[in-house]
Amino acid sequence: MVMELLGEVLKLTVLTGLTLAGILVILIWKKGLATKVTYFRFVIQAVAMVAVFYLFTYPVWQLIVLIVILVMPLVLGRFFCGWLCPFGFYMDAITLLRKVLKIRYRNLPDRLNIFLHNFRYVLLLIFLGAPFILAWLDPPPSLDFATLMALVFAGPFEPLRVLLGPVIPLIVPWVGPLEIGGLYFSYPYVQEVILYSNMAFSEIFVTIAALIFVALTIVGSFFVRRVWCRFCPTGSSLAVVNRFRGFKWAPALHIDKDEEKCTKCGICKRVCPVQVTEVYEQKGGKIDTSMCMLCTRCVEMCPYEGCLKVNIGGKTVFKSRNWLEPSTVE
Amino acid sequence: MNSQNVEKKYTPEISQKEIEELRNTIQATSQKIIAENIEKMKKADPNRPKALQYFDEMANFVSREKEIRVEKEKGRKVIGYMCLFAPTELILAAGAIPVRVNSGWYDAAKLGDRVVPVEVCPMVRSTIGAKMIALSPYLEVSDALISVLTCDGMTKLGEILSDYTQVWSMTLPRVKDSEQSARLWREEIKAMKGQIEALTGNKIGRKQLKSAIELTQKATRAFRRLQELRKASPVIMGRDAMLVNQTYMWDNIERWTEKTEALCDQLEERVRKKIWACPPDTPRVMITGTPMIWPDNWKLPTLIEEGTPPGVLVADELCSSERILYDPVGVDEWSMSDMLNAISERYLMASTCPCFTSKDGNEDRINWLVNKIKEWNIQGVIYYVHRGCILYAMEYTRVKKVLDRLAIPVYYLDTEYTREDVGQMKTRVEAFLEMLSARIDL
Repeated sequence: MVMELLGEVLKLTVLTGLTLAGILVILIWKKGLATKVTYFRFVIQAVAMVAVFYLFTYPVWQLIVLIVILVMPLVLGRFFCGWLCPFGFYMDAITLLRKVLKIRYRNLPDRLNIFLHNFRYVLLLIFLGAPFILAWLDPPPSLDFATLMALVFAGPFEPLRVLLGPVIPLIVPWVGPLEIGGLYFSYPYVQEVILYSNMAFSEIFVTIAALIFVALTIVGSFFVRRVWCRFCPTGSSLAVVNRFRGFKWAPALHIDKDEEKCTKCGICKRVCPVQVTEVYEQKGGKIDTSMCMLCTRCVEMCPYEGCLKVNIGGKTVFKSRNWLEPSTVE
Repeated sequence: MNSQNVEKKYTPEISQKEIEELRNTIQATSQKIIAENIEKMKKADPNRPKALQYFDEMANFVSREKEIRVEKEKGRKVIGYMCLFAPTELILAAGAIPVRVNSGWYDAAKLGDRVVPVEVCPMVRSTIGAKMIALSPYLEVSDALISVLTCDGMTKLGEILSDYTQVWSMTLPRVKDSEQSARLWREEIKAMKGQIEALTGNKIGRKQLKSAIELTQKATRAFRRLQELRKASPVIMGRDAMLVNQTYMWDNIERWTEKTEALCDQLEERVRKKIWACPPDTPRVMITGTPMIWPDNWKLPTLIEEGTPPGVLVADELCSSERILYDPVGVDEWSMSDMLNAISERYLMASTCPCFTSKDGNEDRINWLVNKIKEWNIQGVIYYVHRGCILYAMEYTRVKKVLDRLAIPVYYLDTEYTREDVGQMKTRVEAFLEMLSARIDL
């Protein structure tokens, strides 16, 4: 009873937070104070998280979110990862905590980072295939073809929902796999795999997957920045468009570099939370990598006026500036 | 240092009497030249901003030397450095005073000839000579010298100066953008931190380093503001701006920032009133190449701005002027490790010194020049080289090729630490300026 009340209070607090954050965003935007993009982004992430939290109360919205996630990269690239993803928000919040605790971050070796980046497709396959493998290893009593198909396309497991994994808030409004005092918790990617419950093997798989995921994101975030983003399978669905030659034009939102203004001081490389090196290494022009999640930290930190730019369809929305000067125009 | 008793490995023994005689004559000439240069600079711009008064005083070494000596008596250490790569932030964080000790005295170079052959870079020879007769006040007050092994001259200069004082060498990797270079340089910076801490007896903590970085960032802000003002019609003579930039090398940084901001305020006022330092159609010239050190090596800027027809210096790419502060230390997180990384990267990767090469074709200096030419509307470039600076001389053809493509005339001017070639240089510079004005008229 007390816990349920607490849950309600939590929901209310979150709603109030949403409103306040929304007002803050409008204020920042109006007054042209969006100079500290990192803070601005943080607020947007919080808003997005809360929005997603409420959206997920209604299953139909999940479908809409999914469609948005799948269509958005065509226009905005991996903007979703950097600015809207609730899990990114948790990791950024942990980063803040890490800074307070004065724990220094570690960098992954570049080669490992690139390996993980490619590994995300394997991971996606694993998540997509796990239910089938589990079903095959430990078949439910009445599994015939028709049931399997029904389960696959309309049942509790819908393959594409795997992509929604990181979007699912940690505390879920519906009945989640883990209950602590009236509040339901869920782990991304885990919800989807609980398909044929009451099976020991599935349970073990779910538990292991959950533990790995929590360890990686929550604990790992204290040591490596944006650790999950480096091999998040959802990111792959967003990034895949950027990978094919014919689609290089596709994301209208991208970072542009002016070679002549660049002194190769290396700041962009150092501040990147997912250790993208292309911004530093590329000679100029459109930054072409599926690793970048457009958090624009490099643009914010680049100290040369107009060297890095964020463009949407040829229009510059945000560019690097001499951040030593108080900015007068945004 | 008890180096007095130790046998000197390089430098000859000079009697105290000779040292004093030489020092007195050179100092007297030097004072005369400082006064003369400043007089010329005052005359060049009839309504010169009043804020420049401070820098004129700072240009005369005497007052700052006194100040440093007072600080020293209070127990502060002074650390001299010879190349821009020395981490000033660490020196400041340890509560020591950073001064750059490169010498610009022409006469001292002749003394240096007794130690090294004339083919050697005159700035190196002059620094040796200055040390031999205790001429440079900043060399004298330094408790330790940071010698960064950039070019060959600098490498051996540190070794020669270790005859007199404690010299800390820092190995600079030559490929500036590889992972292993970054690692080596980071280790060098960390080791230097330890050495500075040992000398000063102050531990460099997170807070101290943070405030030191913020101090230099503020200086960079003031510096950039000044350079931005030079983009439009000439509001300040190039020599004045160069002097302002150069005083940073030995001034109290906090005060320098304050005074530079005050100067910029006055210059902005002038822009509003449209008072120009010289006619706005004066050819806009940029100098690139070897450093020019106050007070003696001021002949080229003077020739450019007082030639017939005159030009105006609106930008330069000298490690004694605009390159000092162009790049800020960009810190991501204010943790010790990230601050040290930021410092090491700022000094190594952002530099356009020709002693480097890089994996990706070493376009940095070219890009720097091209950007300056476009943004500052440069009409002609003078490529200035000390005889003996092979690195700058060798990069000339490459720079010329790029500038030719942009249709920007570039003129190669090589000279020595001597006053004898001023007349000949005048003819060459004026011919170049003549050509520039003709181009503008067209």
